[in-house]
Amino acid sequence: MAILNVNGIHKNFGKTQVLKGVDFSMEEGEVISIIGSSGSGKTTLLRCISFLETADKGTVVLDGQTVFDAAQPMKRNDKAQREIQAKFGFVFQSFNLFPQYTALENVMLAPKLLAKERPDFKENKKEIFEEIEKNAKDLMDRAGLSEKYNSYPCELSGGQQQRVAICRALALNPKIMLFDEPTSALDPEITNEVLKVIKSLADDGMTMIIVTHEMYFAKNISDRIIFMDGGVIAEEGTPRQIFENPQNPRTREFIASFASQRGDETSK
Amino acid sequence: MKSSALLFGVIYEESMVQSMSTEKIMSILSSLTEGFGMNFLLFIVTLVVAIPLGLLISMGSMSKLNFRIHTLRIYPIRWIFRTFVWIIRGTPLMLQLFVVLYGPGLLFDMPMRSRETAAFVAFAVNYAAYFSEIFRGGIEGIPKGQYEAGQVLAMTKTQVFFKVVLFQVVKRIVPPMGNEIITLVKDTSLARVIGVVEILMSAERFTKQGLIWPLFSTGIYFLVFNGVLTVLLGRLEKKLDYYKG
Repeated sequence: MAILNVNGIHKNFGKTQVLKGVDFSMEEGEVISIIGSSGSGKTTLLRCISFLETADKGTVVLDGQTVFDAAQPMKRNDKAQREIQAKFGFVFQSFNLFPQYTALENVMLAPKLLAKERPDFKENKKEIFEEIEKNAKDLMDRAGLSEKYNSYPCELSGGQQQRVAICRALALNPKIMLFDEPTSALDPEITNEVLKVIKSLADDGMTMIIVTHEMYFAKNISDRIIFMDGGVIAEEGTPRQIFENPQNPRTREFIASFASQRGDETSK
Repeated sequence: MKSSALLFGVIYEESMVQSMSTEKIMSILSSLTEGFGMNFLLFIVTLVVAIPLGLLISMGSMSKLNFRIHTLRIYPIRWIFRTFVWIIRGTPLMLQLFVVLYGPGLLFDMPMRSRETAAFVAFAVNYAAYFSEIFRGGIEGIPKGQYEAGQVLAMTKTQVFFKVVLFQVVKRIVPPMGNEIITLVKDTSLARVIGVVEILMSAERFTKQGLIWPLFSTGIYFLVFNGVLTVLLGRLEKKLDYYKG
C-alpha cells in the first residue's frame, strides 16, 4: 500500500492558478525528485502536502489516513493535527533555523515541547530529556556536526546550517521528509556536503520528496522523477526515462536547456 | 556654590548666592528631589501600564479579521486600533493631558479624582500608542520562515510565539524602546501643565524668590537619571547580542 496519496490538488493565489490538479502516490522508502522550471508549482505542491499552504481542492492520504481534505476545515492548533504535522519533516530553502538557539537546541526544541505533552512526562522528565539529547547528538554526529553542538546559526556556514535544519526535521521521527530546494541558497562548492547527508538518508530507506534544481543529484538519488509544468505533472518516470527518453515535448525542452547550460559551463 | 551658579554657563551675582545659607540650599534641593519623585513615579507607572497596553494595541492593529463589501475589504479591528494610534500620536500630549483631566467631568459628570491620576492615564495611553508601533514593527519584522519552521515542527501558535518569536522581537525592539523610554523621562515634566507638582514646577517656585539656579539644576536630575538608563539599556543590548539575525 502506498504511504502517500496526493489526489487532485488545486491551489490558486488570487486569480493565478498555481496547481491545476496534481495526483501522485509513493511507496514507503521511495525517493521522488520534483523538477521543473520556476513557477511550475513544485514548491507550492510540497507546501500543500505539508500544510504550509491550504489547497483549494484535493486530498492527501498518509498511510491510509486522510490527513488533508480541502472540503473539511483544518484546525492547525489541534493536537491530532500537530501529530500528523510531525509525520512530515520539512527542510526549507532558507534553512529557517531559530537564531537565538544553538544548533543542538534547535534540534531538541520541538521534541522537548512534544515530550511535555506525554502523560509520563513529570515522573520521567530527566530520562526523557536525556534521551532527546542523545538522539539529537546522534543525528548531528551522522550529519558531521559533532563539533557544532554549541554553535549559533550565525556562526555556521550555509551548508552547516542546512545540515542542522535536516537534523531538526529528523528529530521528530517523520514518516516522510520533504525538501524544498535544499541547496538553492548555497554556494556551489558546499552543496555537496548537504547532498551527501540527503543521500545517506536515502540509503537508510527514508521516504523523501525533493524539489530540486540539482539535476545530476536528482538523477542519481531518485527512484522516480516528477516533471512539473504549468501546475500539473507533465511527465513522471524513472530517472532514466525522464533524462534519456523524455516523451513530453516540454520535458524534452527542459532537459535539453539544462544539458546545454551544462555544456556552456564546461566549455568556459 | 560657584559650581551651581555657573550651571549652563549662566552667571549670577555672587552676593545673591553667597547670602544663601546651607540650610536654605538643602531645603531647596530636598524640594527638588521630592518633585523628581513625582517624575519618577509617573515614569514607572507609565512603563508598567503602557508596555502591556501597547502589546494589546499592537495585536489589535495587526488583526487579520476581515470581511468584504463588494470589492472593499474591511478590517474592522485593525482600523479601529490604527485610528486610535493615529489620534494619539497625531495630537500633542499636552492636549491629551487637558482632555483626560477635564473631559470626564465635562462630558460625563464624573470629574477626575486627582490631577495625578489624570497624568498617569494620559501618559500611559500616549506611550502605549507609541510602544504599540514599535512592537508591531518588531513582530512584523520577524521573517515568515520562523513561523513556518515552528509549524512544520508541530509547535502550537502559542509555542511559536513564546519559544521562537518573542525573544527575537525583544532583541529588535530594545534600541527603539530605549529611545522612547529616554524621551518619557523628560516628558514627565509636561505633567506640570495640569498642575501636577513635579520637579520643574517645584523649581519654578523659587524664581519668585529671585533664584534661577534651582530651575536650571533640574537638568542635572534628568541627565543623571537618563545616564543610568542609557547604561542599563546598553548592557541589555549587549546581553542580547550573543547572536546575529
